[in-house]
Amino acid sequence: MRIPRNLEVWRLGTVNYLEALKLQEKLASERKINKISDTLLSLQHPPTYTLGKRRTDYNLLIPESELKDMGAELHYTQRGGDITFHGPHQAILYPIVSLRDIGFGARKYVENLESTMIDLSSLYGVKAHGLRKCETGVWVEDRKIGAIGVRISSGITSHGLAFNIDPDLSFFKHIVPCGIADKDVTSLRKETDMELPDEAVVQDQLVSCFARLFGYSDIIWKDKRNIDIDG
Amino acid sequence: MALRMWASSTANALRLSSATRPHFSPLSRCFSSVLDGLKYANSHEWVKHEGGVATVGITDHAQDHLGEVVFVDLPETGGSVTKASSFGAVESVKATSDINSPISGEIVEVNSKLTDTPGLINTSPYEDGWMIKVKPSNPSELDSLMGSKEYTKFCEEEDAAH
Repeated sequence: MRIPRNLEVWRLGTVNYLEALKLQEKLASERKINKISDTLLSLQHPPTYTLGKRRTDYNLLIPESELKDMGAELHYTQRGGDITFHGPHQAILYPIVSLRDIGFGARKYVENLESTMIDLSSLYGVKAHGLRKCETGVWVEDRKIGAIGVRISSGITSHGLAFNIDPDLSFFKHIVPCGIADKDVTSLRKETDMELPDEAVVQDQLVSCFARLFGYSDIIWKDKRNIDIDG
Repeated sequence: MALRMWASSTANALRLSSATRPHFSPLSRCFSSVLDGLKYANSHEWVKHEGGVATVGITDHAQDHLGEVVFVDLPETGGSVTKASSFGAVESVKATSDINSPISGEIVEVNSKLTDTPGLINTSPYEDGWMIKVKPSNPSELDSLMGSKEYTKFCEEEDAAH
């Protein structure tokens, strides 16, 4: 018999990368000691390039100074995965959940993150796929629409997924995205024939796909724009 | 079949008297191998304590749930580890997973082969995929770890509950 589980979702609006990271670290510690239950952060970032634990900065094609001139930030992180870009109109989900409670290992968790983005894409008639051997992520044919980079510490997840609703794809020209040189990046806007509703609606739908796939009985939505991270 | 043969050849190499066979009953979903003579943590690391040195790695169950390991981050020799605290990480499927030490002590050797061949953790989790060797500061910590039968049951319960 499955015990009903709730997911608390924080709608954060646009958040600076480091602030979001600090918040995730705080929530992950609290989740580890069961002070809070499974929580998901739903947000977007200002233009930001990030690297994973392997520090593959050879995949950054311009000097850091040029990045700053563009108004973008660069951050080194502890997540898995290669270099990527985050920016406005790209939906970011950071689930802070206990994999032990769900009974998933890393592989199953990441597969479900892929399915979350695949399901959302199909709502708009876009046939996306994941499960490419050695290439975690979500693709429409050979074009990448969603990226994943996760950290798991004592069974608690942080970081998560980034889904391109309608970001400025030219930002991706300055990197070898995810370390894959010969493939394009794409977005929901580019791939769908349907008219997209307000972005906030699409982002909420993405969260609902996640909640359904991970078997949550209920979502508790919390609007937390302008939250006090240190509070 | 291959799994049983592999498990018994590993058992011979480690000079163990028998290997716990993977269960094939319809109710069990634990098909990973578990070896006698090792101790296990509930975060799926194993320890082999022999001649004052404890070798640590992750189990077959763990590597199966991780997926293909592409990167291993290990500490330096001479550093220390604390029971239940992280000493390194592995990356698989774009996820970095922390690895926790089942015991406390001083790191006396680190498996440098994992830098070039991280996949050894998948292909040989109990042998060539070992991660660190530790001089235990408190060998009684091993008593609170699980034996092979307990760990097998633990895996089955974990997999079946969801």
